[in-house]
Amino acid sequence: MNRMLFALALVASCVHAQDARQIMQEVQKRQHSTSQHYEGTLEVIGGGNRIATKRWTFDRLGDFGASKGVLRFTVPAEVKGVGLLIVNHPDRASDQWIWRPAIGREQRIALQDRSTRFFGTDFSFEDLEERDVEQYDYKFLGEEAGAWKLQSTPRKSSQYTYGYLWVKKDNYTIVKIESYNKKGLVRVIDYRDFEQVKGIWTARTTEVHDVTRNSRTILKYDKLEYNIPRKDPDFTLDALRRGA
Amino acid sequence: MMLLRLISWPYARKHRLRWMLTMAGIVLGVGVFVGMHTANQSVLAAFRETIDKVAGTTQLQITAGEPGFGEEVLEKVQSVPEVRAAAPVIEATVSTGQGNLLILGVDMLGDRSLRTYDLEGTDEAIDDPLVFLAQADSLIVTKTFAGRNGLQVNSRVPMRTMQGDLIFTVRGIMKPGGLASAFGGDLAIMDIYAAQKFFGRGRRFDRVDLALRDGVTLVAGAAKLRNLLGPGYEVSPPSSRGEQFEQTSRIYSLASNITSIFALFIGMFIIYNTFAIAVTQRRSEIGILRALGATRSQIRALFLTESAIAGSIGSGLGVLFGILMARAMASYIGNILTDVYGVAQRADGIQVDPVLIAGAWAMGIVTSLFAAVIPARAAAYVDPVKALQKGRNQALSEGESLLRRWAALDCAGMAVVAVVFSRSTVIFYAGFVLSGVAAVLLAPSLTLWLSRVLRPLLAVARPVEGTLAADSLIQSPRRTSGTVAALMLSLALVISLGGLARASYDSLADWMRIALNPDLFVTTAQSVTSRTFVFPASLGDGLRAIPGVDEVQLVRSVRVPVKGGPVMLVALDVGSVERRAKLPPVEGDAASMYRRTERGEAVLASENFVRLHGGKLGEVLEIAAPNGMLKLPIAGIVRDFSDQQGSLLISREAYIRAWNDDSVNVFRVYVKQGARDSDVRQRILDTFGKQQRLFVLTNKDVRDYVTRLTDQWFGLTYVQIAVAVLVAILGIVNALTVSITDRRRELGVLQAVGGLRRQIRHTVWMEAAAIGFIGLVLGLLLGAVELYYAIEISRRDLVGIDIGYAYPFRTALALAPVILIAAFLAAVGPSESAVRGSLVEALEYE
Repeated sequence: MNRMLFALALVASCVHAQDARQIMQEVQKRQHSTSQHYEGTLEVIGGGNRIATKRWTFDRLGDFGASKGVLRFTVPAEVKGVGLLIVNHPDRASDQWIWRPAIGREQRIALQDRSTRFFGTDFSFEDLEERDVEQYDYKFLGEEAGAWKLQSTPRKSSQYTYGYLWVKKDNYTIVKIESYNKKGLVRVIDYRDFEQVKGIWTARTTEVHDVTRNSRTILKYDKLEYNIPRKDPDFTLDALRRGA
Repeated sequence: MMLLRLISWPYARKHRLRWMLTMAGIVLGVGVFVGMHTANQSVLAAFRETIDKVAGTTQLQITAGEPGFGEEVLEKVQSVPEVRAAAPVIEATVSTGQGNLLILGVDMLGDRSLRTYDLEGTDEAIDDPLVFLAQADSLIVTKTFAGRNGLQVNSRVPMRTMQGDLIFTVRGIMKPGGLASAFGGDLAIMDIYAAQKFFGRGRRFDRVDLALRDGVTLVAGAAKLRNLLGPGYEVSPPSSRGEQFEQTSRIYSLASNITSIFALFIGMFIIYNTFAIAVTQRRSEIGILRALGATRSQIRALFLTESAIAGSIGSGLGVLFGILMARAMASYIGNILTDVYGVAQRADGIQVDPVLIAGAWAMGIVTSLFAAVIPARAAAYVDPVKALQKGRNQALSEGESLLRRWAALDCAGMAVVAVVFSRSTVIFYAGFVLSGVAAVLLAPSLTLWLSRVLRPLLAVARPVEGTLAADSLIQSPRRTSGTVAALMLSLALVISLGGLARASYDSLADWMRIALNPDLFVTTAQSVTSRTFVFPASLGDGLRAIPGVDEVQLVRSVRVPVKGGPVMLVALDVGSVERRAKLPPVEGDAASMYRRTERGEAVLASENFVRLHGGKLGEVLEIAAPNGMLKLPIAGIVRDFSDQQGSLLISREAYIRAWNDDSVNVFRVYVKQGARDSDVRQRILDTFGKQQRLFVLTNKDVRDYVTRLTDQWFGLTYVQIAVAVLVAILGIVNALTVSITDRRRELGVLQAVGGLRRQIRHTVWMEAAAIGFIGLVLGLLLGAVELYYAIEISRRDLVGIDIGYAYPFRTALALAPVILIAAFLAAVGPSESAVRGSLVEALEYE
């Protein structure tokens, strides 16, 4: 999930266009892995500081732009078994399906619905996509507190018109993203608690702030693993239905 | 104005009761008209309002008749660049302990682009959207429904689904207003994929709602979608669903309009009668006025103004009465339309249409004025000299009678000619009106003649009282004829509608005997017309395996657009139906038409479809289906009462191919010889009843249901008939009151010379009975004619079925005591007034 949310940052151009793209290519290169697994805890802090907590597992096969991912909720019991299959494409928006065990069927997430919130959290279905660095234009904006500030503009259909992202100069990790649409700032994502896992700097905590609703979602990642054996058939609709 | 103050006002004050009765006629007439229209309009408005509120920001809706269409259509629509948002919808109405609940199955992920879900106690659309989606039992209900049923978040709601009896959980409560106020607030939201499962819809949607991108016009968007989807799909704004329902329920509106206008027409006779009497009574006054220089136009204007005032007050009160009546009737009518057409209605309040109210008020005044035209003219032409002569003013002059008789004969003759040339609708309806006019014109002469016939009979019964009563009628036919005409018209209405109802019941019974002959019917609801839930076809195999079951027929009934209107398509095993329940052919070769239909090469059309939609044997019908345009000839015309708008019988296989829908509404089950229906019914319930929503109705249950539906259908007509009769009875009270007043001196003299109170009473009672009897005789005769027109109107413009002429003798027999008792009751007040008045005042009268 953290990798997916990093994808929001892949964006920039103008005088420092080459530099900005090179920075992002380096970010992507340093994040490279053939697969990933983690267990996550999600806390949605809504109005009146009401907190809803859920847990899930996530598996990914492949890398930016052509990866496949399966997410499964495990806790609480009411949502256990609900799964999401994401198939990313280098040249177009991803395909996404939800598996709903209670009614025994999958449901395709329509492209028009990608901007809707992901099950009451503060990020959207589109935010779950992993987009390749080549799917954005970049612009270097300057340096702030030990980080480069870049502007990204999606080349293909997106709910966002542009975004700002901050990349730490010392380890090429994205620490913050601001996403904008025509009306203004929509989301702010902060990445915290970085650790190296198998040589990859990985944020252990991500906080998403929905500016319009003024609510927050905090994601915490456990049991993070990279480059573990995963097979293609485990990332299909059949596998999603089987709960593999 | 001065004449009104000096002449009219004192007269009205003196004859307060009569004016009140006069106005009661117009109050009832206008009231019934306003009540029926307002109630009908309220039901339609509530339906349109529900559509509007449910539609949200939807600009276009894609439908394919009631069967809906497969899920793949949604992706096609969503891929159109002009479409900003498209969301699938399933609508279902389920019965709860507290009445009907409209369940809207939506995809909560995309639906919020079109509809706003404003929930209580949270800024979220749903408290936890993931739980809502993960748990198929999730429901969002409105605050109104929650309040009515004491529900809160996490409360349990039991529901009988195609998966059996389930408990649903309230996971959100919508604030009142907007979507939450649709269907009177009795609305719940369910995930659409859960709805598919629980309502047995397979992987189908009822429709897709969509909004277009900015800058795309409705016309351009609709054209693009039509090109993409083909002719089997309708692409239209949400409002067109309201229009379709209005089209479906057209017959009901038309029928109720006819009877309510009739009530107003009868009210007109009461007014006519009152003014005719007033002119007669005030002849001397008019004569004096004329002698003092009042012009004819002033006299005419005086009476017309009086009439306009009476009409204005009566209409105003009638409007108020109608609104009260509409309040009481709206939900009743809504339920009838739900049962008859299978389209859920919810009309809690009423929608008062100012145009209708103004129109009804104006109509009441115009009716009053129209009724007063002849008396006003008569008043204007009063000869001052003759006006002073007493005793002859209630009589009809020979010239006047002759003129009326000739006019009546002319009208009757033209009505007969109109029957010969009745192919033309205009000529037919002209004939209908002329027959009524002829009867009305003949009424005074016939009243006089019948009074003379009655005189010796009454004299035999009571020599003094009978003779006096008969003479009163003979000497004053003008006083009585209006009342008799009103009574005649209302009784003719009773006979014609009663006969129509009787003939309908008989035809229906014949049809039920043939078409509804299975021993058991396995349905998804107690109401046979409900099409909310559907069975999977596989249940048919399960039913066949039940011991004692001989044969199972699968029936799918859906309303689809044919010839520009919604028509019931009945898909069934035609071969099996031919063997078991062969409908008699009205046209076509009985041997081949079923075979061709079974092979999917043709359809069978019902008699009323052909009449109402203009089809004919051999005509190739174009039926738009999701898999393309079906072009099937009409192989035969049969008598089928499945639907008021007509029905088309098609082979089940052809239907499945064209609509990709193999679901079933009803399984018709034949029980093996020797097996008991009740045992087989119990076995079916034991085997499948707990697994899914299922009702097993016996043959009698279904017949009773159809009969009950028909009773409900005619129920409101009966109410209108009752009002018409009541108006006519008011006329009797009016006529008797006038008669008593006119003969006050005469009755006073009778008492003075030793006449007993009992005799006075009997005189009035016998006069009332004679009026009732004459009205009854004329009404029963005119009813015979009107029944012909009622059956023809029904055949041509209402249900399209030739139900055959049969005079309702039982109704006629039942009417006799009712009218005579009513006449007696109408006479009680006037007779008491006659005997209890001061003798001195009576002798001083006039």
